Amino acid sequence: MFALHFPPLGHIVDWPGFAGTEGAWYEVNKVVLVYLFALILTCLIFVLGNKKQLVPTGAQNLAEISVEFIDQQLIEPTVGHNERKWLPPFMLSLFFFIFFTNIFEVVPVIQMPANARIALPMFLALFSYVIYHGSGFKEHGPIGYLKHAVVPPGVPKAMLPLVMVIEFVSKFLVQPFSHTVRLFANLLAGHILLVTFAVLSAGLWTTEWYAVFLPLPAFAVVFFTAFEIMVSFLQAYVFTLLFGVYFGAAVSHEH
Amino acid sequence: MSSTRRIGGRAAAVLALILGGLLVTASPAGAAETEGACFLHAVEDAKEAGLEGTELEEHVEEEVLACTQAPSPILPEVNEIIWGAFGFLVVFGFLFWKGYPAIKGAMNDRTEKIRTDIESAESARAEAEQVLSQYHGQLADARNEAARILEEARQDADAVRTERIAAIDGEIAEMRQRAAADVEASKTQALADLRGEITALALGAAERVVERNLDDATNRALIDSYIDSVGASS
Repeated sequence: MFALHFPPLGHIVDWPGFAGTEGAWYEVNKVVLVYLFALILTCLIFVLGNKKQLVPTGAQNLAEISVEFIDQQLIEPTVGHNERKWLPPFMLSLFFFIFFTNIFEVVPVIQMPANARIALPMFLALFSYVIYHGSGFKEHGPIGYLKHAVVPPGVPKAMLPLVMVIEFVSKFLVQPFSHTVRLFANLLAGHILLVTFAVLSAGLWTTEWYAVFLPLPAFAVVFFTAFEIMVSFLQAYVFTLLFGVYFGAAVSHEH
Repeated sequence: MSSTRRIGGRAAAVLALILGGLLVTASPAGAAETEGACFLHAVEDAKEAGLEGTELEEHVEEEVLACTQAPSPILPEVNEIIWGAFGFLVVFGFLFWKGYPAIKGAMNDRTEKIRTDIESAESARAEAEQVLSQYHGQLADARNEAARILEEARQDADAVRTERIAAIDGEIAEMRQRAAADVEASKTQALADLRGEITALALGAAERVVERNLDDATNRALIDSYIDSVGASS
């Protein structure tokens, strides 16, 4: 009716390369550019925040709040007392890298969340998977960890085979998948929403009578842009928190 | 501090230049190939290949289909995985090596400094309270000492007053005694004088009466005895 042309789903997240040979492993497209921005912005926060003012301001404040947030809001509730030096910077990297790759959804000109492409969520989920299961094996030993992971305490012996299969499938097969899809699908859905309302607004920018409906999708674009800012933060938090939960469950000595 | 800021400013300028350049060279926020663009490309390719008629139509149809069919969004691109992994690992490496330890170290140092300052303040406060307590003690001692000195002075003054009063009383009593003695001596002298006068008068009178003059000593003895008897009776 409105003669709208909605681009194919693949087209709104697939970006042609602008540097490097087409199809090569080193080809640079908009998504790769977002990775680069995320890398630089994360490092900048910690470079500029490395001050020793008694009352922190600006970048120092942001860096210290982030460190405190990761330590107290993510590691303590999920892992408890932590002696592993690599864990806080790893979770900090997860949070910031995901957040910045998400937030480019609402940055003018770029307007593309890198996590609406499955590559990064999948890599991060698999990397996390290797780390938390690897730490579990290291902590409990191969047999001990398998027992720790798939045999919940207090389960009647008759139920144990079924529960063990469920636990194994859940922890070793589904977890990385759900970890990936939760981030990827949320960002893709948000991006599709914004594209949809933007295309609809453009379609209603006309002299026909149905232009009276233009404010609705235009308002929706504004509303969902704000919503996507929240989603960017929330999904980075959730992904990092889930890593903490999986890691805490893998290395804990309690059931 | 200023040199660090200068270096930070230069680094920020360089980064801004790089990012700006990348932004300019990046493609705009549009979709990939549209159907029209695909059609044009396909026609150009077919003409370059020298195709005509049905062959051209079939070729264009296939090309447009292939061109507009975007790759599946759930299949990861190799370059994105590699660059994403590279980006994340660089971030992690930097934060593990420098970023997190520096910030955490600064926070711990500050916490330690604040804790030390609080402890120092507590210690200084305890010391001040101790000094105040000593001062109060000394003040109380001084007040006691002052009261004692006042009391002693009062007692000394009382003793001096009592002593002076006693001395004056003594002097008065002595003066009274002396006065009484003087009075008594004067009285005795007066009596003696009177007695001599009376004796002389009496002798004169008796000489005239008796017309006989005894020896002088006898006369005097007679008269004295007479006067004594008169004095005793008076």
